[in-house]
Amino acid sequence: MSNFSLSSRSVKDVAVITPRGYINDIGAVRLEQESGQYLDNGLKKLVVDFSDVQFINTIGLSIFLSIVQNTQDHGSQLCFTNMKKDHLEIFEIAGLIGHVKVFKDENAAFTYLNGRTPDGKKTASQTTAV
Amino acid sequence: MAKKLHLKRLLFSIAALADLGQEATSTKDLSEKMKAALYIITGMFSVPTAALFVHNRQRGMLDLIVEKGYREINREGIHLSVQAEHIKSFRMNDPHAAGEFPKIVFFKQNSVIFTKLQTKIFLPFFAKGELIGAISLGRKLGGAPYRQGEKNVLKVIAQQMAITLSNAQLFRELARKAAENRRLYRNMQRIYNDTIQAFAAAIDAKDGYTKDHSYRVASYAVAIAKELGWKKKDVEGIYVAGLLHDIGKIIIATKVIKKGEKLSAVELSEIQRHPRISYDILSKIKFPWKNIDNLVRHHHERVDGKGYPDALRSGELSEGVKILALADAFDAMTTDRPYRDKMSIDEAFREVMKCCGTQFDDKITKVFFGLIRRELDGEVCDRQILHHLECNEASPVAVSGFAYQQMDGSGNT
Repeated sequence: MSNFSLSSRSVKDVAVITPRGYINDIGAVRLEQESGQYLDNGLKKLVVDFSDVQFINTIGLSIFLSIVQNTQDHGSQLCFTNMKKDHLEIFEIAGLIGHVKVFKDENAAFTYLNGRTPDGKKTASQTTAV
Repeated sequence: MAKKLHLKRLLFSIAALADLGQEATSTKDLSEKMKAALYIITGMFSVPTAALFVHNRQRGMLDLIVEKGYREINREGIHLSVQAEHIKSFRMNDPHAAGEFPKIVFFKQNSVIFTKLQTKIFLPFFAKGELIGAISLGRKLGGAPYRQGEKNVLKVIAQQMAITLSNAQLFRELARKAAENRRLYRNMQRIYNDTIQAFAAAIDAKDGYTKDHSYRVASYAVAIAKELGWKKKDVEGIYVAGLLHDIGKIIIATKVIKKGEKLSAVELSEIQRHPRISYDILSKIKFPWKNIDNLVRHHHERVDGKGYPDALRSGELSEGVKILALADAFDAMTTDRPYRDKMSIDEAFREVMKCCGTQFDDKITKVFFGLIRRELDGEVCDRQILHHLECNEASPVAVSGFAYQQMDGSGNT
């Protein structure tokens, strides 16, 4: 039984996708489809929040690989936030880390993408890449 | 530091191979398995685009069954032509890099598709020397070349994929053969049933008076057996026994069977041979149902031991025999015979009640009457007994209050 769920929202021109649970099953392809829909609808900025991701295996990596490739094909920007050490390590081994911007949290990602936090407050212009 | 990363990569590859093994042995259907396998492989090597093919021997093609990362690709239109000489040019379970493609005929002949798929690695997989399928891997994210270590891991993957696909093909073939066997069995069963029906018709045709007698006896017996909760297979058995119970009459002289007067002792003895003859005929046939020969042999036995041919008593008679005996006698009572007119339904019921405990078994009689009572009361949609009785009647079957009371279980049955 797949222990995976997903929610997403768009904040102005940024789509925030929040996967939850285990990304280790083909059922998690929904994540790829969800991001693809935002990109196909013209959104150029994508944030994936890893706060509730418990585990990623090679199937999960492949799904993120598709998201990275798709984002590049659309000329869009992709940010990962709230990644744990395990997540970072697996992305690093797979060589994916060089293709995305990784931030400590959503605010930092929004600041990088828009110069504003999700609630619209202006912030300092520097990014907080991890 | 580099050593640590190398170790991590090794562990990562081992974990990925374990994932692949888990998917291969999962209970998912083949296309789901293959999709998961392709995701694992592309995840392992950071390849955004890949395609998986299965060898179609009949058509001499590698058919695309799963792909990943291609936008607007028509899976139906992607086939790689693969001839016997092409297969010989493959290294078994060993990746072929794009640099080799111009030197190998197979890649040259299928170059349009390989260009479309942006193939950088082509991995054919074999099981027991047979080409099973292949994977095309595209360019790695960032364009890095495939390292030798990665090519070695691909060899392991090829072996695993070959076994998975080969097993799936074997299972599919087994399932196909099982379905074919089921179809043949159903056909055989139909022929078998038709033959039995034809025999039953031949038996009944010997005497115009007994037209459809075997069919009605079989139907009554089935109705009683079902009421008793018999298993489907046993119900089928008693149906066949009902159809064939009088097969021995084929040997008996027609003039004896059709005689309109009281039979002489010799004639009676002659006609009483028929259950034994039925047994002799049917015992040579290996039926898929149990005890058909014994059921027909004993259908004229009585629970008081005064029946024939073996004068067995109640305890020696099977439930099936008791059912058949009642069904046979009841139909004989309710149809015209050369030597007497048929009884009215009421008379027949009374006769059965009178003979309960001597000719007929108590329990079977009660079940039989219980069934008829429920049919009379409209409690059952399928009137299995009354339907046959009504076929010979000008008006719907009606029974007297007395008979009804007996059937209700409050009488002296």
